[in-house]
Amino acid sequence: MQIEFNVNDQEYKMEIYPTMRLVDLLREELGLTGTKEGCGEGECGSCTVIMSGKAVNSCLVLAPQIRGQKIITIEGLEKNGQMDRLQESFINNSAIQCGYCTPGMLMSAKALLMANSNPSEAEIRIAIAGNLCRCTGYNKIVNAIKEAGEGI
Amino acid sequence: MSKELKYVGQTLPIHDAPQKVRGELVYLSDMRLPKMLYAKLLLSPIAHGQIIKLDTSSAEALPGVIRVFTYLNTPNKTYSRYRIIPDQESCIEDERLFTDKARFIGDRIAAVVATSLETATEAISLIRVDYEALPVLGSPEEALQDDHTRIHPEGNLIHQFDVELGEQDSLPNDCLLVETATRTQKVHHAAIETHACLADFNSSGKLTIWAACQGVFGLRTVVADLLELNYNNVRVVKMPLGGSFGGKQEAIIEPITAFLAKEVRRPVKLILNRRESIIATTTRPATNTTIRTNVTIDGMLKDCLVDTVFDAGAYATSSVDNAHAMSKKISRLYRIPYYKHQGRIVYTNTPVAGGARGWGAPEILTAMEIHIDAVAKRLGMDLVEFRLKNLVHPYDKDKATLLSLGNARVIECLEKGAAAFGWRERYNKDSDMGRYRRGVGLACAAHKNGMYGGFPEHSTMTLKMNEDGSFIMNTGLHDLGCGTITSIKQIVAEVLDVNLSYITVLEADTECGPYDFGSYGSRVTYICGACAYEVAGRIKEKLLECASHILRKPKQYLEVENGGVWIIGKEQQKISYREIATMAKIKDNTDIVITHTYHGTSNPGAYAVHFAEVEVDTKLGTVRITDYLAVHDIGKAINPGMVEGQIQGAVQMGIGYALCEELKIGSEGSILNSSFKDYHVINAPDMPRVKTILIEQGGDEGPYGAKSVGEIAFVPVAGAVINAVNNALGTVLSDMPLTPEKIIASL
Repeated sequence: MQIEFNVNDQEYKMEIYPTMRLVDLLREELGLTGTKEGCGEGECGSCTVIMSGKAVNSCLVLAPQIRGQKIITIEGLEKNGQMDRLQESFINNSAIQCGYCTPGMLMSAKALLMANSNPSEAEIRIAIAGNLCRCTGYNKIVNAIKEAGEGI
Repeated sequence: MSKELKYVGQTLPIHDAPQKVRGELVYLSDMRLPKMLYAKLLLSPIAHGQIIKLDTSSAEALPGVIRVFTYLNTPNKTYSRYRIIPDQESCIEDERLFTDKARFIGDRIAAVVATSLETATEAISLIRVDYEALPVLGSPEEALQDDHTRIHPEGNLIHQFDVELGEQDSLPNDCLLVETATRTQKVHHAAIETHACLADFNSSGKLTIWAACQGVFGLRTVVADLLELNYNNVRVVKMPLGGSFGGKQEAIIEPITAFLAKEVRRPVKLILNRRESIIATTTRPATNTTIRTNVTIDGMLKDCLVDTVFDAGAYATSSVDNAHAMSKKISRLYRIPYYKHQGRIVYTNTPVAGGARGWGAPEILTAMEIHIDAVAKRLGMDLVEFRLKNLVHPYDKDKATLLSLGNARVIECLEKGAAAFGWRERYNKDSDMGRYRRGVGLACAAHKNGMYGGFPEHSTMTLKMNEDGSFIMNTGLHDLGCGTITSIKQIVAEVLDVNLSYITVLEADTECGPYDFGSYGSRVTYICGACAYEVAGRIKEKLLECASHILRKPKQYLEVENGGVWIIGKEQQKISYREIATMAKIKDNTDIVITHTYHGTSNPGAYAVHFAEVEVDTKLGTVRITDYLAVHDIGKAINPGMVEGQIQGAVQMGIGYALCEELKIGSEGSILNSSFKDYHVINAPDMPRVKTILIEQGGDEGPYGAKSVGEIAFVPVAGAVINAVNNALGTVLSDMPLTPEKIIASL
C-alpha cells in the first residue's frame, strides 16, 4: 500500500507493507538509525518518536498508522545546525552514558516540553516513566530536562 | 600534588555525547555490510532433554535461507566462553556451538542464516526437533541430591573449595554465635542494547568480528582457538556498547556468529531480541549463603564461617572464579582473626550464570551486611558503632592476597556518612506502627582495583605526537558507556598540560591496537589510567628533550604549559607543541612516539557505605526509597560528574536487586518472566534522588590517586535497602528480592 507522511519536516510518499512497524520503516527504509529498539513490545522506550505531538513507541505503531502524520525522530531535533536545548542540557548535565536510551529519552522529554514548557520534577519523571535507562539512575536525566524546561 | 590540577577533577561529558544526542553514533544493530546475511537461533524450549530427531529440511527449502546449522553438521569441539588467555586455569570447556542435549530453556539447538531476519525467523519455526525428556534439576539442592541425572558427564558438582584465612584461636567464654542465611537471585543485566554481533570471513582467510564487548582479546582467544585460526587472522573490533554490566564480558554470541560467517563466506549479523538476551546469554549468579560468626559481648568479631552454594546454571563459564572471588571479599571489609569459606559450584538446568557488576561482591556482602545487622542487634549495639569496631583500617593487609589494602578509608566513609545522613537520630526514632512505616538502613562494601594478586595485570598503550602537536593514543580500552575515554583523556591532558581537544584516544582492536585484558575487574581507571599517566609522562620527557635541543637549554630548566614548552623564569621564551613536533621531524629526524606497558603492582580496596531510608506500605507490601546517600572512598575523582553517574546508576540497579528483579524459574525449568513486561527494572518515578559524598584522599598507585567506582557502587545498595526494610518492620528478611508477597507474609 502507498502512504504519505512527514518525517522531520520532509514529505514522503512510499509503498509499504501494511504489517511493517514504524521502527523498521524509520531504521531500515529511511536509514534513520538514531531510533533504537530495546524490547520490541513497548516496555523500554528506546524507540520513542514523536507522532503528531505525542511520544509513541515506534515498535508498537504500524506503518499505515502514520498516514498523514508528522513524525519527529532524534535526527529531527536539531534545527538549522542548532542543537535543541534538551540535547545541550543532556550533554552539560552528564545525562548520557551508554547512549542507547538517549534518543528515546530525548523524544519523550521533547514531547513533554512541547506540551508543558516548565514541568515539575514529578511531571518529568512520569513523562519518562516508560523510558528505561540502566546506566544513569535517571537523576541527571531529570536534571537535564528540568534545566531545558526552565530555559524555554 | 605541587601543581593545581587543571583537567583532572573537572566534570566533562562522555566523549561521544555529541553523536549520542543526535542519534548519530553507529551501534552494532545499526551496521549493514554489502551482501550481509542475518542469523537467527533456535533455542531449546525444554530445560533438559536429549535430541533424538532433528529435521531441518523444511527450513532449508524456504526461499532466502542460505544454510541451517545444528550439532549434526558442525564441529563437536568444546570451549569455555570465559577464557581470556590460552591455558588459563578454571576455564571449564563444557560448551559447544550447538548442543545435542538441551540443558536449559535457551540452549542453542540450531541456527539459520538467511537473506533477511524475517526469513531466518520463519525458517527457525520450520525446524522440527524431538527430545527425550530428562529430569529437570531446577535448583542446586536438587542437582546435588540427584546422583542419577547428570547435566554434564562429570556430574553436577562442578567444583568445591575450602578457603581458610588466619588462625583459629580459642574463643572467649562469653562469645555469642550468630547465624544468618541469605538467598540471592538470578538477575538479568538489562543493558538496553541487546546482544549483537557482526562477523565477516574474507577470501584472504581473515575473520573480522565487530563486537559490543568488554574484552576483544579474550574474544579472539576463544574464537580463534575454536575455529582453529591463527590469532593474526582474527580481528576483533570493539564497537560502541549500549550497556553491559558484565553481561557482555564473555564470548557469548561471537563464536557462533564468527562460525556462521566463516561457513557461508558472507558477513553475518546476529541480534538477540530481549527474550533471547534474558534467557540465553548470562545472568547474575544465584547463591545461597550461610554465615556464622562468633562475636565477643563487647562487639569484636572473632571468627566468620561462610558456606556458599553457587548456581552456575547449565554451563560453568566464569562460575568457579566468580565463587572464589566471593571468598575474598569479607576479609577486605572486616578485621576477622579467623575466616573460613566453603563453596560449592553446581550445574542446574537454568540460564547460565556469568560475570555481573561487582563479580561476587554484591552476593556475598549483601549476605554479610544483613548478618552484621543481625549480630549488632543481638548485642544491642548501634549498627554504626558495631561496624566501626570491626572495619579494616588504612594499610591493613588483605588476608586473602597478603597485599596491602592501601589507603582504605571505609571508616571515614561510615563516620562522615552517618553524620551527613543523621543516622543516630533517624535510626533511634520511635518506630511508626501505622500502615506506612519508615526505616533507615546502611551497608558497607569493599571491592578491588584490578586483578593484581590473582591474575596477570598489565596494559599497553602507544602515544604519538602528530606534526601539529596534537596526540593520538592507541589503547586496548573498552568504553562501556561509563566515560572511560574522557577520563583517560583528562589524565593525558593533565600530564601534558594540553587541551582535551588535542587528544584522540582509540579503543580496542586486536589487529591495530595494543594488548589489554578488557573492561572488568574494576581495573580500567586504576590500571589503564596508570598506564595512560605513565605513557604521557614518557612522551612529556621526550618532547622536553626535543625542546631542549631547540631552545638550547637543559631539560631541567624547561616546563610544559598550555600546549607548549617554556624556559622556567622566562615565560616569553615559549615554543608550541606544534613547533616542537615539526622541528623534531625536520631538524632532529625524530618521531615523538612511545609505547609503554604498565604492570600493576598493587590492589588496594575500594570502599563505599550507603544509607537508605525506606517507606514500607504494610497493606500492599510495597517499598518506596525516600532518601539515599552514597559515600565513596574513591581516592580521586578524575571526572566527578561521571563518578556520580556511576553511583546513581548502580543505585538504580541495586534497588531492583533488593526489591523486584529476579529471573524466575518455575516448574520444569520454565522461565516465568522473559520480557520487560514481567521483568521489572526501576523506572524514573520509582528512583530516588541519590546524594553522594566522595572521599578523595589518594594514597595509592592509581592515576592522581584514583580508585575504582563502577562495580563498588553496586555492592552496598541491596544491603542498605534490605536492612532499611528490616529496620522499618522489625523483620529479618533475607530471601531476595523482597517482593510485596514476601513482605506481607513476614508481617
